[in-house]
Amino acid sequence: MTFAALGARTGDRTEVRRRGSLRRRASARPGRPVGSSRTGTAVSRTVAVLVGLVVLLPFYYVVATSLNSPSATASLSGILLPHWHWNNYSRAWAAEPWGRFFLNTVLVGAATTALTLVTSLLAGFAFGVMRFRGRNALFVLMLSVLLVPTTVLLIPDYAIATDINWLNTYWIQIIPFGASVFGIFLVRQFFLGLPTELFDAAELDGAGRMRMLWHIGMPMVRPALLIIGLNTFMASWNSFLWPLIMTTSPSVQPIEVGVSSFAGADGTDFTAMCAAVTFTTIPVLVLFLSLQRQFITGAMAATGGVRG
Amino acid sequence: MAELDRNAELANGALQRDVRAGRADHPARRIKRARESPIGWLYPAPALLIFAVFVIAPTAYTIYISTFKWNVLNTSMSKYIGFANYQTLFSSSTPSFLSSAWRSLYFSGATVIGGTVLGLAIALLLQRGGKLLNGVRVAVFAPYITPVVATSVAWVWIFNPQFGLANSLLRVLHLPTEQWLQSSTWAMPSVIVFSLWHEVGFTVVLFLGGLSVLSTEMSEAARMDGANAWQEFWHITWPQLRPVTTFVVVITSITSLQAFTQFYEMSSGGPDYATTTLSYLLYQEAFLLFHTGYGAALAVVLFLVTAAFTLLRRWSSSNIARLG
Repeated sequence: MTFAALGARTGDRTEVRRRGSLRRRASARPGRPVGSSRTGTAVSRTVAVLVGLVVLLPFYYVVATSLNSPSATASLSGILLPHWHWNNYSRAWAAEPWGRFFLNTVLVGAATTALTLVTSLLAGFAFGVMRFRGRNALFVLMLSVLLVPTTVLLIPDYAIATDINWLNTYWIQIIPFGASVFGIFLVRQFFLGLPTELFDAAELDGAGRMRMLWHIGMPMVRPALLIIGLNTFMASWNSFLWPLIMTTSPSVQPIEVGVSSFAGADGTDFTAMCAAVTFTTIPVLVLFLSLQRQFITGAMAATGGVRG
Repeated sequence: MAELDRNAELANGALQRDVRAGRADHPARRIKRARESPIGWLYPAPALLIFAVFVIAPTAYTIYISTFKWNVLNTSMSKYIGFANYQTLFSSSTPSFLSSAWRSLYFSGATVIGGTVLGLAIALLLQRGGKLLNGVRVAVFAPYITPVVATSVAWVWIFNPQFGLANSLLRVLHLPTEQWLQSSTWAMPSVIVFSLWHEVGFTVVLFLGGLSVLSTEMSEAARMDGANAWQEFWHITWPQLRPVTTFVVVITSITSLQAFTQFYEMSSGGPDYATTTLSYLLYQEAFLLFHTGYGAALAVVLFLVTAAFTLLRRWSSSNIARLG
């Protein structure tokens, strides 16, 4: 039920929705969403399933191609029926240092996530719970960061990275993304949602700021931290333009840059390329399927939930 | 359920406190000493330091660089040229800034309008929930979380004129085939189709959120008055969704303006610059041709456009808050 708490704070409408449908069923009124006739329902369900299949078709296609014979035909059955050529995988795996790419990606992702969680928790606590001179000015200054897209920062940050010798390192992939306005905002909103009495009582007991943050704040904002963590890790995993420009050596490059250079190096071996796409994307899909509710909530929180 | 209600109360409390934010007239004021510290700014300091070094100062630096004929190898050799880089924007160089701006508009317009219409339509199909439809929701959302590099590499092969899935399907249906990414007419539509596939799940989820908080009473009343499904949607559902729609439009505009990876992987800005959008032009000028000053001028333009949209976004999301 941890995510129920989140729902109330950040607008997880699926939770609201479930309550809504419960209420509707309980009152046994004829109220139903758009398209209420029974045939209409059957038709719309069929269309929905077809939409789902169309969206999934490229996934199936990639997996089927990854197992196809390299001398594939152009016929539809030749394309869509799998042929179990597992050696596409061994060929793809041998072509690039994938193990190293995976390691780099996980390392950068984990470090970025950890750093973002710490900075978000600290700043969110300050903006949500503490009072100090200049608090609102700092908060507005922080919000102004949202105005600047990463593309705009490429040129100056490349110059800065050159000056401090951070090109081609893990640092340039971690530190610039170690703070998130969205994360700070979410933690702050969570703290604003907690009753003040909670902290009053803690102070009466003589708790310091750090103890308050760690023992009272932390457990209460855990759902927010999970969302921030997932979002940060996925953004890090999927980032491409930044590492493409900031790194040149496979020893620090992440997986997506690896996929790109593999695709660029041999544009004709499509079956091996589809094999590489498959084994580099499966970890992301597995993570998504095991935490899909949190992912969808998180995506919504990243936008709809953050209410200015 | 009890937990849900308690959380709703918490949320409600937060709302009220937001209203009277900034006031310290709480009865327990005397025990707030630890929270009212003059060194409170130390807590957000790590985050603010990162922002200052990698976002705020670099933004100013971009503007500075954009007034120079910048020398990447030896910055001391750079020459101040005032607004000359901005004048180049409107010169007839190839690919010109204006034509790239037009292609950005083409791409953004198609993905924003297409994404909004598709997203709303799919959300309407899925709004009932239940095991089956929630399964479809997961399927539709899945592309959104997969990396753009990997998926666009795969779509290059889908659009392959000889062996690709797209043309094979067209052949089965006895429809004319296309050159897709290798044709300057069809390259942009191909990238748009990929982008819609990749992003639509996100729009669907936003619209599902909007649909779930609509009042059912009005729809019921309309139905009792004999409205058909289309009339009910057009006169009752759609007007109530307007704030969510505004929000979707603004947020997808921002993302589509930044889109880069699919252009890099699928078409490299070609053929014949047919897919060179502003973001791709910036990359090409600054990091392939080393026209850093000119690239910075492009970045400043991109910054101004994005900033305008972001301010719009804050405005539209406060509208949503009012709705909820």
